[in-house]
Amino acid sequence: MMERIFALASSVAADALRRKVLYVVVFFVLVMAVAVPSLPSYGEGVDEAVYREVTLALVFVAALIVVLALAAPRIPAEVEHRTVYNVLSKNVYRWEYLVGLWCGIVFTMAWIIAAFTVIAQIVGFAVYADPMWVLWQGTLGVLLEVGVLAALCIAAASRLSTVPVVLVALVFLFVAHSRSSVVLDDASLAWKLFPSLDTFNVINPVAHGGGVDAAYVASMLLVFVAYSAFLLVLAALLFKGRDL
Amino acid sequence: MSDRAAIRVSNARKSYPGSLGKGRTTVVEDVGLEVAGGTVHGLLGPNGAGKTTTVKMLLGLVRPDAGEFEVLGRSSRAPSGRASLGFLPEQPYFPPQLKAAQAMRLYGRLAGVGRARLEDEIASKLSLVGLDRHADVQISKFSRGMLQRLGIAQALLGEPRIVVLDEPASGLDPVGQRDMRNLMLSLKDDGVTVLLSSHQLSEVEAVCDRVTIVNRGRVASEGRLDDLLNVEGQVSLVVRDLADGLPAPMEGLVSDVAVKGSSWVFSVAQTDVRRVIDAVDEAGGSLVSLNPKRESREDYFSRLLDSDGASTEEAGTR
Repeated sequence: MMERIFALASSVAADALRRKVLYVVVFFVLVMAVAVPSLPSYGEGVDEAVYREVTLALVFVAALIVVLALAAPRIPAEVEHRTVYNVLSKNVYRWEYLVGLWCGIVFTMAWIIAAFTVIAQIVGFAVYADPMWVLWQGTLGVLLEVGVLAALCIAAASRLSTVPVVLVALVFLFVAHSRSSVVLDDASLAWKLFPSLDTFNVINPVAHGGGVDAAYVASMLLVFVAYSAFLLVLAALLFKGRDL
Repeated sequence: MSDRAAIRVSNARKSYPGSLGKGRTTVVEDVGLEVAGGTVHGLLGPNGAGKTTTVKMLLGLVRPDAGEFEVLGRSSRAPSGRASLGFLPEQPYFPPQLKAAQAMRLYGRLAGVGRARLEDEIASKLSLVGLDRHADVQISKFSRGMLQRLGIAQALLGEPRIVVLDEPASGLDPVGQRDMRNLMLSLKDDGVTVLLSSHQLSEVEAVCDRVTIVNRGRVASEGRLDDLLNVEGQVSLVVRDLADGLPAPMEGLVSDVAVKGSSWVFSVAQTDVRRVIDAVDEAGGSLVSLNPKRESREDYFSRLLDSDGASTEEAGTR
């Protein structure tokens, strides 16, 4: 089982590295990261916080673009081109195929986000003489959030085509980030149960404070595992009965 | 048929929702087939007969409304039941950014080929289909025929005991088609069971031990193609040296008369053979051959599909 999942995941990762969109986004982030320190100065200490905040926001936007480009079209394209037949006619469970895709996407995103973080650290150290290790907390939050989004895209793509999948992901993202500001005590149960992605948003404490403590990081990981597992189970159920 | 058929499909049925959700369109009405181990079995039928849908149900790619699907005695609907099975889809396609060897590596690992022998097996299968010199070529540069060959190579990874080929000659040039036929026969020699889904009569006739003919989602006929083409109760005679033409006693007894040089070819009912041979002797002619009458495969196929269509329409109007 693990061999099959790993084979699929490494295939997805290898495929991702051949996509031009990836390099365009990396180049864009690199240019922006280098440009941020040249913004007007707000004073000592403030500049570093602004740098961290803008950098993390850039990493988030870039990661969002890449994860949508990787996850949303994957299943629709494989079904349309029938490459999925070569996989699922073998001794491969459909859920293994989905988990393999997700692992491959998350693995790819981890490398990309790690590369972004290293670049941001190098620029930060060069300009402010500060290695900014705290940035890793912020980019971990970004990775976990796009990991959940990848699982959502896979769940939606197990029944929908690419464009609706992207729309579903963007609506989910918007609602899951605005949910905490609209859910009141008298809100319906559905609203209260709707996932909140704000858990992963640690830009503020990372940019303007000393970051978050280990317990909070652990809670982010738990939420990531719970949401991703739920969405992948949903994806498996939706995909199980689909005629290919 | 044996109790342990290599492939067994019974009462397969599949329908899809109609357009705008109105009614349902039945693609496979009632298909059953048994494939004996170590044989090449043809699943023959015109386009849209339900062959590919039947194959997809067998492979777990399409969920059946009803029916049982077994490979080597295990349900093939579960992936573990397909561990000994290789599949070539109709018009196979591969991630175009991969090289042939990379794609084979992925499918080999999914087929359970161990890392120790993966590279050797990839090389051997690519060589078998004539793609050994293209292992490091990107699939996006492959022709239609090369994609077909790669599809066959990936279907053979893991040394499957059963191979299902859906229109394998599609996209191949005549040499490729000949190679494909030879490959199927060589698989059979190695004890591999082959289920060949095709609409090409010549391809099926050249390699298949038995055929199941499907039309309009139902089995129209099943058996050895030779037996199916024999016209029951009729024999075909070739005689020569009938200087004065057909003798009078033969009139009314023979049909489909054709003259080729000094030879006469005609059909006779089995019950009249003795009388016809006596008449030939009396006229000074000689018998060259006497064989069961065979219908041309095109005529048989057309007649079968026409009569099946007529009976389906009749049933539909009742």
